Amino acid sequence: MSEVRIAAEPRTEFGKGPARRARRAGKVPAVLYGHGTDPKHITLPGHELMLALKTPNVLLRVEGLEDGAELALPKDVQRDPLKGFLEHVDLLVVKRGEKVTVEVPVQVTGEVAPGGMLDQQLVQVALEAEATHLPEAVEVDVEGLAVGTQVLAKDLKLPAGSTLGADEEALVLHVLAAPTAEQIEASTTGEGEAPAAEAPAAAEGETGEE
Amino acid sequence: MLIPRRVKHRKQHHPKRRGMAKGGTKVTFGEYGIQAIEGAYVTNRQIEAARIAMTRHIKRGGKVWINIYPDRPLTKKPAETRMGSGKGSPEWWIANVKPGRVMFELAGVPEPLAREALRRAMHKLPMKCKFVKREVGEA
Repeated sequence: MSEVRIAAEPRTEFGKGPARRARRAGKVPAVLYGHGTDPKHITLPGHELMLALKTPNVLLRVEGLEDGAELALPKDVQRDPLKGFLEHVDLLVVKRGEKVTVEVPVQVTGEVAPGGMLDQQLVQVALEAEATHLPEAVEVDVEGLAVGTQVLAKDLKLPAGSTLGADEEALVLHVLAAPTAEQIEASTTGEGEAPAAEAPAAAEGETGEE
Repeated sequence: MLIPRRVKHRKQHHPKRRGMAKGGTKVTFGEYGIQAIEGAYVTNRQIEAARIAMTRHIKRGGKVWINIYPDRPLTKKPAETRMGSGKGSPEWWIANVKPGRVMFELAGVPEPLAREALRRAMHKLPMKCKFVKREVGEA
């Protein structure tokens, strides 16, 4: 994965007032730390950062710092829950050749056998890899998998140069039997027509507090 | 319908309506979801109606998650009753949903089918909602 260059400006004012002023100016407050160094408070350009963060585990080359450029990985991204604007980013300093553990998305390809329903339990898996060569995804081919088949973490075909950083026996996905038409009908009619007096009746089930 | 099996206090104060959702703001279990963009009290009947609407539409092959639970009772005094004489009896069970909360999730179906199923479910809910997809790979 290639590096994304991003220009940082040091931050000297702290708290919600200056942070909100920076956000209004299209910048994102961020902090850079790791390898025992003192945390550096910076602001990053909002649009460039947003584009960079579309790539999972993007390697950022943060420039414009007092002691030269640093390589960093996004450690934590805070967003507005409704609008999705970036509010704050934690960046972790990494060195070339250093091994880091990151969460990599699991991409499923193919269709399971007819009558089966795919149940994906893990959407990301922890991998240990070199910081400058992080895999973008782990692919799992489910073409023709029969009902009852399981794929565990140890069954994944990991990209070259990476090792599993999670429990080997963790269930990634399995194929369940798809519900029949009768089961769907039962689930949509049986529970849906509960009597009107059910709500107060349930409340009487508790031990008296009056 | 979703109802608590037993509760510590039958009658509670009304839940607070202010603020944003503190958690549960991302699609975690499935691939697609319904996110509230306004706050509202969602009754167990509305949750059930939304679940049925989406389950009927996807027919087979999908999996549905309900991320909210109606654990707060609301009371009502009978009609044509004079004020006083204590608090009314429990009438509804509601989930206090704040803006940003992902209430329902869906997986195992193609996106156009999921969009339509969730759109139908949104019509059963008392607030403005939007369709959201899982964001993969963000720290």
